[in-house]
Amino acid sequence: MKYVCSICGYVHDEAEKGIPFQELPADWKCPWCGASKSDFAPQEEKEASAPIVTDASDLSETHELQKLSAGQLAALCSSLARGCEKQYKAEESRLFKELANYFTAITPAVEDATVMTIADALKEEIAFYPTLKATAEAAKDRGAQRVCVWGEKVTRMLYSLINQYLEKGDQMLEGKDVWLCTVCGFVYIGKDAPELCPVCKVPAWKFEKISGRN
Amino acid sequence: MSNKKIAVRNLRLCTKDCLCLYVCPTGATDTENSIIDPEKCIGCGECALACPSAAISLVPADYPEQQPKTNIVISALNDQAQRKSSTEKAASQIAALMADCGLGYLLEAMARSERLVTEDIMREAGYMLPQSSNVRQLLEELVANPPTPSFPIETAKKLLKLLP
Repeated sequence: MKYVCSICGYVHDEAEKGIPFQELPADWKCPWCGASKSDFAPQEEKEASAPIVTDASDLSETHELQKLSAGQLAALCSSLARGCEKQYKAEESRLFKELANYFTAITPAVEDATVMTIADALKEEIAFYPTLKATAEAAKDRGAQRVCVWGEKVTRMLYSLINQYLEKGDQMLEGKDVWLCTVCGFVYIGKDAPELCPVCKVPAWKFEKISGRN
Repeated sequence: MSNKKIAVRNLRLCTKDCLCLYVCPTGATDTENSIIDPEKCIGCGECALACPSAAISLVPADYPEQQPKTNIVISALNDQAQRKSSTEKAASQIAALMADCGLGYLLEAMARSERLVTEDIMREAGYMLPQSSNVRQLLEELVANPPTPSFPIETAKKLLKLLP
């Protein structure tokens, strides 16, 4: 039997490793990305989730779009700042960053936020991905399908890490650093950044150590 | 939209072999700040072909409009972006309250991770290119109706002037 990591695709082949997956210690982590045992699923078992029916004809004109929130606009502007930077438009990039900072500052605080509520919020994000994917598929929107691929994996990783923290507390981080893939958002806990990002495969230098001094 | 291309140099890869200077018919690559002069570049591609470090590539001088999007997809993308932006906010506001410590760093990383994913979502929700008509409309709307009195209206105006 083979077990596959839902985040990075690492395969634990029981025959090859000589250890049944169930017998691995409870705190065993994916050797590539650091996901928990619970983030693995048996390979044979194809996900038999019920197909989500989305009416693709309900689109465009009839579907009213809501005004964008400050939080959405913050990300929109920081994304455009990045886009300008890639096009070597330094001044435009700086200006979009200013707008992004403004929207980040006016984004209303989340009431009663705790580590627990963040875990719940991540769970909801993960739960919405199937609907988002189905909607994008029904509309044959390639780009929207694409953002689901890395986005879902990264979100699962955050959920895995927050649960590891809830279980183990600070012990989980002892002697280790927190690393962020600046390309896809994958977060890694370890002494060094991984050689390749397990999600988007960029090299280690694209990782940034998060140490409170940025 | 024209097919015009211009050459750009990736300074991370450039090892100053300077063959681009040698082959460029207009002198566009010969600049002090290492940025290929877009005014002089005619998009012939000779510099990119000659560069032994593969540090030069040709990019479109202007980009096509984004593929049309349906509102139902945009609305689903926006939904997810909203969830993510409030998770980002929650993580960063808790991180801000914590002194330098592991959990603070983890939450800060999560906030930044959520931002990166949300940015990707917003690009697909119709705002891929800074020079798109969607972005222009949005900026015009913000200038006409600033969300709060502290909105940096001059910044938005400058962008409207700078973007084609």
